[in-house]
Amino acid sequence: MSEILNTLMQDARVWQGHQHIRTNQSAEPTGYQMLDNQLGGIGWPRGALSECLLNAPGIGELQLLLPLMQRLSHSGKTVFWINPPHTPYAPAFAREGVNLDQVILIHTEDEGDLLWTLENCLRSPVTGLVMVWPGKLAAREIRRLQLAAEAGSNVCVLFRERRYAEQNSPAALRLELAPGEHQDLRVNVLKRRGSWPGQCCSLAMHHRADLAFQEAPRIVQGPWSGQAG
Amino acid sequence: MLWLYLHFPHLLLDHIRRSRENEGALAVVEGSGQKVIQACPKARAQGVRAGMRLKTAISLVPELGMVRADHQQEARILEDQARWLYRYAAHIVLVPPDGLLAEVGSLQRLYGGLPAVWQTVEQGLNERQLNAWIGIGHTPLSARLIARTGKGECTADKGHILRALGQMSLMAAEFEDKTRTRLQRIGLNTLGEVLALPSNELARRLSPETLAYVQKIQGNRADPKTPWHPPHYFRQQIDFVQEVEQSQGLLFSLQRILSELEEDLCWRQQDTDSLLLVLQHRHEEPTRLRVRTSGPEHRSETFLNLIRLRLEQQPLRAPVLSLVLSIRRFLGREAGAGRDLLGETQDLNEAWHTLISRLQARLGEAALQQLSPQADHRPERAWSASEVLRRPGTRLPDYTQLPRRPLWLLRGPQPLTAAPSRWFSGPERISGGWWDGQRVHRDYYIAQLDSGQLAWVFRDVRDGWFVHGWFG
Repeated sequence: MSEILNTLMQDARVWQGHQHIRTNQSAEPTGYQMLDNQLGGIGWPRGALSECLLNAPGIGELQLLLPLMQRLSHSGKTVFWINPPHTPYAPAFAREGVNLDQVILIHTEDEGDLLWTLENCLRSPVTGLVMVWPGKLAAREIRRLQLAAEAGSNVCVLFRERRYAEQNSPAALRLELAPGEHQDLRVNVLKRRGSWPGQCCSLAMHHRADLAFQEAPRIVQGPWSGQAG
Repeated sequence: MLWLYLHFPHLLLDHIRRSRENEGALAVVEGSGQKVIQACPKARAQGVRAGMRLKTAISLVPELGMVRADHQQEARILEDQARWLYRYAAHIVLVPPDGLLAEVGSLQRLYGGLPAVWQTVEQGLNERQLNAWIGIGHTPLSARLIARTGKGECTADKGHILRALGQMSLMAAEFEDKTRTRLQRIGLNTLGEVLALPSNELARRLSPETLAYVQKIQGNRADPKTPWHPPHYFRQQIDFVQEVEQSQGLLFSLQRILSELEEDLCWRQQDTDSLLLVLQHRHEEPTRLRVRTSGPEHRSETFLNLIRLRLEQQPLRAPVLSLVLSIRRFLGREAGAGRDLLGETQDLNEAWHTLISRLQARLGEAALQQLSPQADHRPERAWSASEVLRRPGTRLPDYTQLPRRPLWLLRGPQPLTAAPSRWFSGPERISGGWWDGQRVHRDYYIAQLDSGQLAWVFRDVRDGWFVHGWFG
């Protein structure tokens, strides 16, 4: 091995794939044991961006964050929703035991306001979780958000479309979400700190609509008549 | 009783000078704009004198800043000073247009002697960059006369005060012109000579009114004064000599009145949560900016930051002639909860208010919402959004009895375009609203679409199919 390579190895400036480094980064457990295991037993990184990439709502993406929301809202931390595509339905969250006094919904008009709002929320000690639906974002802006996230110590989750999975991103954790066969949520880890990505797991999410796990639907014959629609 | 009189020889000028950034020559001109009434030291140095014609003054100093005297404005400025003086003395009387009277006899013990009172007042005047002549007298009138000569002395000795009065000319003693002429014709030239006359002679020869005046100076006749009480609001105005076009220029002046507000609030032991800022323009309707904090606040720095954000968001429509800051809502101050003795732990409550106020100032109050469930069967009415409020430690009602609902609700039902691939549960019939005309009559189902999304769909009376929510 050349001398230059040796120096690099000794300085520990190069991460070697066969070493599994336990990150000492603080994190919040996801509340799903299976996913926590895949993420090296830690969960959502704090003080860093996380990305959830999905194509359409209604596949269990909020359910994925619900344990975190429940925990944070009761420990007095504020949960911010910035520019959600639909209305978070208050009765449903109340039923799930989320303290709605700690949930704040923000609508911003343009991108400048969005970034400004995010930076302010991320830096504040009162924030526990920020969920953002940013629409289009340039890589430079994500970088800026990552820096803002590092300034605070809270969880920030960006919801973006799956087509961005191809692009690289400075986010610390990137999860690709897709619906599974049995109303479950398939999570594909695209990027994580401290180890190789590529882990896959499937989280049971059928309880989100009180559906007993079953092979065959309860209503075999739907009310949908063949010619309607 | 001992009275302290403050005579402000050029109050309007001082008021304007202290809210100016640049130090140009400045003069106050009378209402009709013909004559100079007051001139600042810089203008005086260049030859501008009170009583000079305005044209002469301008030819002497071409860049002279001019302010038109306005009685209402002067009265207001005087009241501002009274508000400040009220911190030191309880019994205050306004003597328009340029004087304040305070009873100081009762303050000597509190401050530890008359010199300390004098010094406190003088220091306050310096801090506020105001010029005033102070006089002390045993009656309101004697204090006034002494102050207006500009030779006030810090003494409580009645004999000394009377001697000072005695040397005063009739002009300085402010007799009416007619009375003064008559006194001079009798051969009297100083106040002391008038005071020495027997009172019944004075009444007979001159008039009972003159006697009353003299007796009030001496203290032989009651001179009741109704004390002034500070109003229950805060109002400060800044008048600009030159119109301000940049919001930066406003911030400079705001800084001073906000720190005065902070002092005022500290002194009242109160907080506020809403400021009204009115910007006057020459040709347009005034701009009214209401700045709110999400919680009780008193620090000028916080207010200034919020106003700065507002001004950044909302550029000035037109140059600003003057600005008025007023506060009418005061809240009792609470001790910062959760702060330990050494102030090491961060006060989260305070941080929360700071963050929310900042966001509201930039995005507008309507941009931030809080959600809560409402008691209604119709899904679109079973929730409400409200302005963000800190609800301290309310016990959460038990919501576990609510029916299972999706986490996402669409802003309005969307037509279902393709048949769902799987049906799970339903129908759940929701029918209501006949009482308020917003009739809803629907059968709800939970179904999975081809895309894998779990949807809350319904069929309404007209047999149309809609998606109303996603089980996110």
